[in-house]
Amino acid sequence: MIQVLQTLAQSGFPDRMHAATLSHFLLVSALMFVIGLIGFLTRRNLIIMFLCTELMFQAAGIALVAFGRYHLDFSGQTFVIFVLTVAAAEAAMALALVVLLFRRRESLNAEEWKELRG
Amino acid sequence: MEQIINPYILYGLCVLGAAGVCLALPRKGLSPQLFGGLLAGAVGGLAILFLGLKNPEHLPNIYFYIFSVVALGGALRVITHPRPVYAALYFVLTVIASAGLFLILSAEFMAFALVIVYAGAILITYLFVIMLATQSPQEDEVEVLMEYDIAAREPFASTVVGFLLLAVLTTMMFKGVGELPAPQVKDPDAILAAMPRRIESTLREEGLMPKGSTLKVDAQTGDAVVDWKHRTVTTIDGGGAPTVVSLPDDLKATNADHLGFNLLRDHPGTIEIAGVILLMAMLGAVVLSRKQVQIDEEAKMRQAHTLSGASFGPDSGTSKGGSL
Repeated sequence: MIQVLQTLAQSGFPDRMHAATLSHFLLVSALMFVIGLIGFLTRRNLIIMFLCTELMFQAAGIALVAFGRYHLDFSGQTFVIFVLTVAAAEAAMALALVVLLFRRRESLNAEEWKELRG
Repeated sequence: MEQIINPYILYGLCVLGAAGVCLALPRKGLSPQLFGGLLAGAVGGLAILFLGLKNPEHLPNIYFYIFSVVALGGALRVITHPRPVYAALYFVLTVIASAGLFLILSAEFMAFALVIVYAGAILITYLFVIMLATQSPQEDEVEVLMEYDIAAREPFASTVVGFLLLAVLTTMMFKGVGELPAPQVKDPDAILAAMPRRIESTLREEGLMPKGSTLKVDAQTGDAVVDWKHRTVTTIDGGGAPTVVSLPDDLKATNADHLGFNLLRDHPGTIEIAGVILLMAMLGAVVLSRKQVQIDEEAKMRQAHTLSGASFGPDSGTSKGGSL
């Protein structure tokens, strides 16, 4: 198990990564982002909508780490730590708001709140 | 210009994948969800395979395929599963699979941080809120799913929007990526020089450094003086005579070392800013959730009116007087 993890993590680490390999990770990241976007647009449950934003964060994280690996620059991973922080803060605030909204209408349907206007 | 994938194939796959996702979205009544999911999955797999065709010698390793299939399948299930708790659990699956992808990208620290922070903390909070905000069925009644969970809103339009974005994003697969500047290969162990104590203790453990001698360090920066070409350092014994010692092979800078130096030496402000953001979020969540919601009589009447009105179906599940 440990050996599998080590070979995984050190798969040719200091060597440069080919752009074709990079594009595999970018494709996965783009697909995950788009799935999150579609979920955000189609689902009407407030909690699932926030879950879909987390999915998009995740996709952005994969792209950042992949670019960081390609350029052998660790700023990408530093930025993912920051993204994690923002996601945690966002989850705390958003879920508090969702609980508040649920108490008012007894429903998680986003369309309950469509009379709100800017 | 180096093309990694043929644009026509890519756009064709985008259209097919859009059809699959559109079919997989939940609908009222009989819906071809399973078929749509399978179609979308097959198209995603084809896209990844076509990416590898032109550069068969630069394929990522086999674990990439396993993890990405699990991650994308979980993500698709998050947006199509009608039960919120299951959607959250599928999201945990996606998070764990992306931690595997991070591992392949040799970002071990981020992989474990992702599992701990996302799967361990954030998703548990989500699950709590989902369970708090869902009314449990009474003993004698069958559980009904909420109407707003069963049917997707505007499945066609949003799928088109999403896959248009995907087409734009993936255009760089055959245009931009080939023109990326080649990465510079640096010696990843070079940051070890900034950790003279670690070099010293390793040398002492290996018995390469006798008692009473010290490592030669740069007087101004405090870094160890290392000759990276030959991987040697200089030790100075009690009498001041220098000896050249070669570094052991297993002395390597780990991912956590690199990340720590990047985080705290190159970007020293970020940790403080992150701390402030988290503190603010915590205060905000406390303030928000302590607020008592008082629904006055007028609002109650309005609410009852809305719920019984024509804008929502009678089966919407919102008219049940739950308690929270």
